[in-house]
Amino acid sequence: MKEKWSALMQKDGAKTVVASLLSILIGLLVGCVIVLVVGLTNPGMGAAAAWDGIRLVLGGILSTGRDAVGNLTFGFNPTNVGNMLFRATPLILTGLSVAVAFKTGLFNIGAPGQYLMGTAATLVVALSIPSTVVPAPVVWLLAFLSGILAGAAWGAIPGLVKALLNINEVLACIMTNWIAANLVTWIFDGSNWRNLEENGKTGYIYKTAHNGVETAKWGLDTIFPSSQVNWGIIIAAVMAVAVYILITKTTLGYELVSCGSNRHAARYAGINDRRNIVLSMAIAGGLAGAAASLYFLSGNTEFAWSTYQFLPPVGFNGIPVALLAASNPIAIIFTGCFMSMLNIAGQQLTNLTGYNEYITDVIIAAIVYLSAFSLVIKMMLDGQKKHKTSVPAAADSAPVPGGKAEKGGEDA
Amino acid sequence: MAAENVIEMLHITKRFPGIIANDDITLQLRQGEIHALLGENGAGKSTLMSVLFGLYQPEAGVIKKNGQEVKINNPNDATALGIGMVHQHFKLIDVFTVLDNIILGAETTKAGFLQKREARAKVEALSERYGLKVDLDAKVEDITVGMQQRVEILKMLYRDNEILIFDEPTAVLTPQEIDELMATMKEFAKEGKSILFISHKLNEIMEVSDRVTVLRKGKYIGTVDTKDTDKQSLSDMMVGRSVQLEVQKGPAKPGEAVLSLRGFCVPSRAHKRNAVNLVSFDVRAGEILCIAGIDGNGQTELVHGLTGLEKSSGGTVTLCGEDISHASIRHRGGNMSYIPEDRHKHGLVLDFTLEQNMVLQRFKEKQFQTKGFVNKGAVREYAQRLIEQYDVRSGQGPVTVARSMSGGNQQKAIIARELDREKPLVVAVQPTRGLDVGAIEYIHSRLVAERDKGRAVLLVSLELDEVMNLSDRILVMYEGEIVGEFDPKQTDVQELGLYMAGAKRMEKGGHSA
Repeated sequence: MKEKWSALMQKDGAKTVVASLLSILIGLLVGCVIVLVVGLTNPGMGAAAAWDGIRLVLGGILSTGRDAVGNLTFGFNPTNVGNMLFRATPLILTGLSVAVAFKTGLFNIGAPGQYLMGTAATLVVALSIPSTVVPAPVVWLLAFLSGILAGAAWGAIPGLVKALLNINEVLACIMTNWIAANLVTWIFDGSNWRNLEENGKTGYIYKTAHNGVETAKWGLDTIFPSSQVNWGIIIAAVMAVAVYILITKTTLGYELVSCGSNRHAARYAGINDRRNIVLSMAIAGGLAGAAASLYFLSGNTEFAWSTYQFLPPVGFNGIPVALLAASNPIAIIFTGCFMSMLNIAGQQLTNLTGYNEYITDVIIAAIVYLSAFSLVIKMMLDGQKKHKTSVPAAADSAPVPGGKAEKGGEDA
Repeated sequence: MAAENVIEMLHITKRFPGIIANDDITLQLRQGEIHALLGENGAGKSTLMSVLFGLYQPEAGVIKKNGQEVKINNPNDATALGIGMVHQHFKLIDVFTVLDNIILGAETTKAGFLQKREARAKVEALSERYGLKVDLDAKVEDITVGMQQRVEILKMLYRDNEILIFDEPTAVLTPQEIDELMATMKEFAKEGKSILFISHKLNEIMEVSDRVTVLRKGKYIGTVDTKDTDKQSLSDMMVGRSVQLEVQKGPAKPGEAVLSLRGFCVPSRAHKRNAVNLVSFDVRAGEILCIAGIDGNGQTELVHGLTGLEKSSGGTVTLCGEDISHASIRHRGGNMSYIPEDRHKHGLVLDFTLEQNMVLQRFKEKQFQTKGFVNKGAVREYAQRLIEQYDVRSGQGPVTVARSMSGGNQQKAIIARELDREKPLVVAVQPTRGLDVGAIEYIHSRLVAERDKGRAVLLVSLELDEVMNLSDRILVMYEGEIVGEFDPKQTDVQELGLYMAGAKRMEKGGHSA
């Protein structure tokens, strides 16, 4: 058994999983410590409240409220699970967006902007084509596709800037984020899509349900009653699998990843590195756009259009989702769910205990932050391995301790 | 006898994670001798010298100076003991003047102010005495590599070091500069200084050293008197088996020109002039044409312009009768194999597996894909065949990550991939750089085999031994231009050196081919 275990641990994939689980664990522990400290130092809370808080941080998804005596109760809570899946949908897709870029050697910090452009395109199409003329499912599909296209176009801009002018994509992404934030506000400012029916809601755009366009639930509403979940989560999962296949099985994926891993070698091998940079940023942008489409096409979600000072956090949260999954598209389905589970746990914490929403956000942020340490932990696991076994090619790297082994060729 | 050993390193053992770099090594350096330290890459030479210079602490063993045990914890301790080192990659500050670099860290000061006049007098005296000509007021970035090395040597002399370590000092020098260095080293030895000379070049060791210590794979093999040995037995000691030092090849049977360059120019990234200026030559089927020259004279740009990595700014390139002056990299690859200078940058995707690297140019070919999906089985089979055919050794065969392979096997993988494409022109740039004797032997024989199959081979090399050994025709490149054409049988290293250094040039010399 022990041998089997250590053989498994030699595998890179196994190490990645262990590293991610460890970092989640550390994140949760630190979250609990914060809950404890806040609980114990806050007058009117105390140890009992802190214990409740810790239980909710760890098991908030299974929380079913409080019983008659006021004790927390736990059990399968279909509404919570359904909402978790619903909120995971855009996270999975922005996570994929960041991961595709990572795999191809790019850092897509432009997901918030791509998400906003996707949002705008989706809402404009979904609300402006009357479903009385065109069947609602067709409008839905058109809106979904235009969300993807808008995101892709927005993502392609930093890609083009990098490919043609060699300007760092991080800079270009940050710029395009704020351009998108202002552009979207300008599109909706004074438009007819602002929600004027419900009083005091002028800050929002109509829900797509206003035009009868919403994502089908097809049975998910019976499994997870009174939750927002719909087939968007299935579409997100399918897209994750598609991205996995693209990256690992196709020649296009091979080409993209080779450019990402070593642009010079790829170029020399006759691969068009510029085209591939633009393409992978466009794919990344398209996925972020799809995140927005699926979120707002649910029919129940509202868009606060005055975004000019504010970038959607779901765009940035794609980064920890991708990191925690080590950019593996399949793993992103799970890490996306984990992140949204934390969100649900936070919500339960706010509703059921004295912890307010701000401290809840601090705790969640700490967990997310530490989760992203999985890379560091993986490096530590790797280091441990190097001490234990000898590396076959080590003779060449002997004079150079540490990670610079590959440069050791000319040292005698 | 023991008294005349100025430095003794006894039973030194130094481990790194997963490997013993020095395993019970003993090295005794006598007063006034030139002691060569010979070994392949990774044999532990640099590690041993780093131990002596205080950069690493050994796990076992002692160091004695004049019979007294000493502890060397850092380079300052080493300097205090009179040990100085010229590193393979110079440790100079580019924007400082030569004088500032020499006195750096050993400045004479009075009340906190530099006393440069005294320092200058001392350096000038040293430079005079040993014939080490330097311009004390020039900035290091503006002087030649040879002069930079003299600066490093003066640094050691300025600190009154008696034990001088030279780590691969000849790698960057022209033949003439090498001769000067050898003379200087002999001069030092005559004065009673002791010299440790690290090298894997047998010619130089035979010429200059008194004794040779050979290391192999971190182990001590033996110490021999130079006068009692020869190149062949030294190389056998170094490699652990008998090696073919001379390339075995018959006469070339050149055919039609495969590649023709006419008035070829490539702009420089560093300055306004052309890095390659109006170069014209032919490479014919069945010959190895070698471009010799000192590093940085336009060879890299020439090859980049030829392969399409860099845009040319004038002239024409004709490959197999087709004008490819403006063709894409992929299109040029249709008739050209290319073994790049920098195997990590251009040769391999280090994070890819061996099999993925093997199809880097070919993954779009029909046999390796079906409707856009990579045909993994075919790729693996192909990689397996190349691995066997070219004896590429790796931990896990086709699925080994390229990064984890040794330099020699990485190079073999590139060579396998490139030669198996069976293109009429093979461009090989520094194909044996940083490799050990065994791998060099193999690569040379492969290139000769390609030639004998009737392919045109364009070899760019900085190693004159390789140039003389392998080529059928030699072009010397200096400052972006071809300054001479030679038949290796009718020239020698000295003559090539004069052309490489720009001291001589042929006017419109024979490259009519």
